[in-house]
Amino acid sequence: MEEKSARRSFLLSKGWLQAVIIVMLLGFTVLGILALRTYQEGAPVPVKIVDPNGDLVFDGDDVSAGQQVFLHNGLMEYGSIFGHGAYLGPDYTADYLRRSSNISIAEKGGPPVDKDGMEIEDPDPSPMPSADVARQETINEFRRNQFDEESGTLTFTRSQAEAFERLIPYYTRFFSADNTENGLRKEAITDPEDLRNLTAFFAWTAWAAAAERPGKDYSYTNNWPPEPRVDNKPTANALVWSAISLVALLGGIGLLFGAFGRYRDLGWHGREQTVVSFRDPSKVTLTPGQKSTAWFFFVMAALFLIQCFVGAAVQHYRAELTSFFGFDLAAILPYNLLRTWHVQLSIFWVATSFVAAGIFLAPMIARREPKGQGKLGYFLLVALAIVVFGTLIGSYLGIHGVIADAATNWFGLQGFEYLDLARFWQVLLVVGLLVWVYMLFRVMRSRLRREHPGNMPWLFFLAACAIPAFYAVGLLARTSEDFTITEFWRFWVVHLWVEDFLEIFTTVMVAYMFVLLGVVRERVALMVILLDIGLYSVGGVVGTMHHLYFSGTPAEHMALGAFFSAIEVVPLTFLTVEAWSFLQLGANQEAKSDAAFPHRWAVMFLVAVGFWNFLGAGVFGFLVNLPIVSYFEIGTALTANHAHAAMMGVYGMLAIGLALFCLRYMIPSKKWPEKWAKVSFWGTNLGLAWMCFATLLPLGIMQLYKSVNDGYFEARQLDFLTDKTTEMIEWLRLPGDLIFIVFGAIPVLWMTFLGVKYTLIRSREGGGGDDEAGADLFTVVSGTSLEDEPPEFQSRTDPTPGT
Amino acid sequence: MSAEVLLGAAYAALLLGGAVVLEWLSRHTHNRSQAYRTSGFDYDAQHDFWVCHQGEQLWPAEFDRERRLVRYRARAAVCNACPAKRDCTDSTGGREVTRAVDPWPHSEAGRFHRGIAVMLVVLACFELSVVLVRNREAADIAVLAPILALAAAMAWWLARDLVRTPSGFPDVKPAHGNRIGSE
Repeated sequence: MEEKSARRSFLLSKGWLQAVIIVMLLGFTVLGILALRTYQEGAPVPVKIVDPNGDLVFDGDDVSAGQQVFLHNGLMEYGSIFGHGAYLGPDYTADYLRRSSNISIAEKGGPPVDKDGMEIEDPDPSPMPSADVARQETINEFRRNQFDEESGTLTFTRSQAEAFERLIPYYTRFFSADNTENGLRKEAITDPEDLRNLTAFFAWTAWAAAAERPGKDYSYTNNWPPEPRVDNKPTANALVWSAISLVALLGGIGLLFGAFGRYRDLGWHGREQTVVSFRDPSKVTLTPGQKSTAWFFFVMAALFLIQCFVGAAVQHYRAELTSFFGFDLAAILPYNLLRTWHVQLSIFWVATSFVAAGIFLAPMIARREPKGQGKLGYFLLVALAIVVFGTLIGSYLGIHGVIADAATNWFGLQGFEYLDLARFWQVLLVVGLLVWVYMLFRVMRSRLRREHPGNMPWLFFLAACAIPAFYAVGLLARTSEDFTITEFWRFWVVHLWVEDFLEIFTTVMVAYMFVLLGVVRERVALMVILLDIGLYSVGGVVGTMHHLYFSGTPAEHMALGAFFSAIEVVPLTFLTVEAWSFLQLGANQEAKSDAAFPHRWAVMFLVAVGFWNFLGAGVFGFLVNLPIVSYFEIGTALTANHAHAAMMGVYGMLAIGLALFCLRYMIPSKKWPEKWAKVSFWGTNLGLAWMCFATLLPLGIMQLYKSVNDGYFEARQLDFLTDKTTEMIEWLRLPGDLIFIVFGAIPVLWMTFLGVKYTLIRSREGGGGDDEAGADLFTVVSGTSLEDEPPEFQSRTDPTPGT
Repeated sequence: MSAEVLLGAAYAALLLGGAVVLEWLSRHTHNRSQAYRTSGFDYDAQHDFWVCHQGEQLWPAEFDRERRLVRYRARAAVCNACPAKRDCTDSTGGREVTRAVDPWPHSEAGRFHRGIAVMLVVLACFELSVVLVRNREAADIAVLAPILALAAAMAWWLARDLVRTPSGFPDVKPAHGNRIGSE
């Protein structure tokens, strides 16, 4: 009874919590309905595909096997399907559709084609009277849906069946080529059955892209890709929902700023702040669990540097496809292997930092740490290293064909972009994250018992719980499942896990950092967190569907995805502006304090997060978000531009900022590498900005223009990427990449090395701090900042009034 | 004239425009943030004092050399008796308002935004130079050279301010304010 009565009540009005819960429930209810609709109305994989005589062309098992050949050979990290994947190779849906429709037109008396299914330039370009008829017949045949739902049989026309047979040799030549000219390893796929199944998979996606949905006048992919040969053009839905989402964005921003401009009582405006004196970080005693994080940050920085080098090599393929300064890199490290390492490492090093920051902050929040936390920390680090290096080695073995089939799926790579890691490593990672949550729980248990579930300690813990929970959803994406369904679940991880729940967890951590430092009141921080959760959940949860406009899901996914992801930009804009005020309080730059604010560069990285959140996620994200833009743009450099600016700009900068915050307590103040922190801040930011503005943005604009003007197929061909102007733009990126690596990533590695070094020295010398574990990080000079603390905490501290 | 020249010139102009927009946006955001912190206070630039929403005047109390700020303070006795004190300040020494003495970009975040703007302009110079080396006909030079000159002038102007203005962020060592009266 005593414990119950001692529980601290909720710091805000209950309306805040109720609003957030309702918004999240509504969002996930809609997402649940859309999951059901994906299973009901997703592009169907026929049981068998026959020709007009009823002879089998290929069957559903072939499509599934081909999909697995595609994924397990890392081809989603080379080209794309339904627009999703990598950007060096072609989009295979568009590629097959173009070649098969060319073959069909030629067969009906149109322009002749070569053995690759491409039109032969006619030396006598006199009009062919039969060509128009052939084109119209091809349109009619490709758009007519001859799938019988009851029997599960799809009937191909004679020319569709012939195109399939004629394209098997083409894809065989491409994937089993005895050279590395396309960026793939020599003889990447040679098994005839695999090549036939792979072609069947491409054929199925092309069929879904052209055949009209029952009762509709557009295809399963909402008429994507743009292809005049099968009359694929933007649907009314794409146009109308683009317009509506644009209006929603502009109206939303106006309404939100209007509302909050009128009610300036969010708590951090106008009022003079409490003045605090910051404790010298090197005098703060670190717990064993906190000390273990020094190694986490070192591993994080090492992975970051490796990711940079791998990324540079990936980029080199685009600037010089056939060699790496004269060396045949693709023979050892083909493009798809490097790219899968690049995207996986981006998640691994960022997640390592977040995990470490969680372990570091928990004892500061709970003001205690149970025995054994340090050992658990090292155990988790080893487990993490096993997952990371197991994944990298497995990807190498899988793509080089050392392991195959089920072994690849379990220990090589599954091959979904961003969820590339093999199933065994994926399960192990989920288990590792659960161990991490357990570690946080055992530290925070007693504090949670005394807190209302809506207060910050609980939000910290619940946000941490959401990380393994939503990452585990990725286990629902299986390589043998229908591709449309796997894409649906994959984006729960790529969007919902990364863009929403990691965002929420980091918001809670950053807010808590400022509360622990005494520069932001807990009540204000709680408001910001709940506002963040509420506003992100309004758009972010259902907005996940903006990745699935053209993946075979029904049109409502496009409508809701476009609308809600557009209004996702509203809170992004708002919170960026508000975060500035929040951060200024955090930095407390103008306060008169005896000790200067110790986290200058950690806060500066957070300022950079605000900038990149607005530019990378907001502006560059919205640039590719409207269905009508995405229709022509998906899978071009504009997507890469958004991905780099948002992933590195927001999550990368956050990861480094959190690392610097923690390192500040590990490295003695006299040894603190202020200059290196400054160099890394400018190096990462200027390097990233150069990367985006020198190459990714202009190239993306050119590619979009090419796609609209000449065709999507043309914009994704290697001919375009190896054009002289394009190559020049790719080379322009070199100075930015060098700045990023030399002045950005390497100093971060050096600082984390210092963290390990001085943590070891402090451990040998027996502690190093002069406070009890869990002591405050600040002393109040004037005003009150502990008014919201529980009575037992207020009695523990003895704020010294200033003069 | 090749398409590359036109594209290069257009993109460089876009980068310069981006730098101008970023500069304006960051200055505007800073001013807005500043306005929030001094919400309810009016500054009299001619006589260098602030007036709070209750009519009390805040006069310069000290100059903080470390942070490059002027601190203005209201009379403690007036503030402590004020009915609006709870929503205004916790201090028993009277409400304080600060004003930066340096021109924009005087804050660390301002310098960050200025740094990105400088980078955009330098990139425009670099890109134009590369295009100029690859396309050296008179017509190409006539299009590219004026934009390059504009970009170079902008780079010089933005970078000069960046180098001249201090960051306004206190050093890691302890910092104290200096009272104006004691100087």
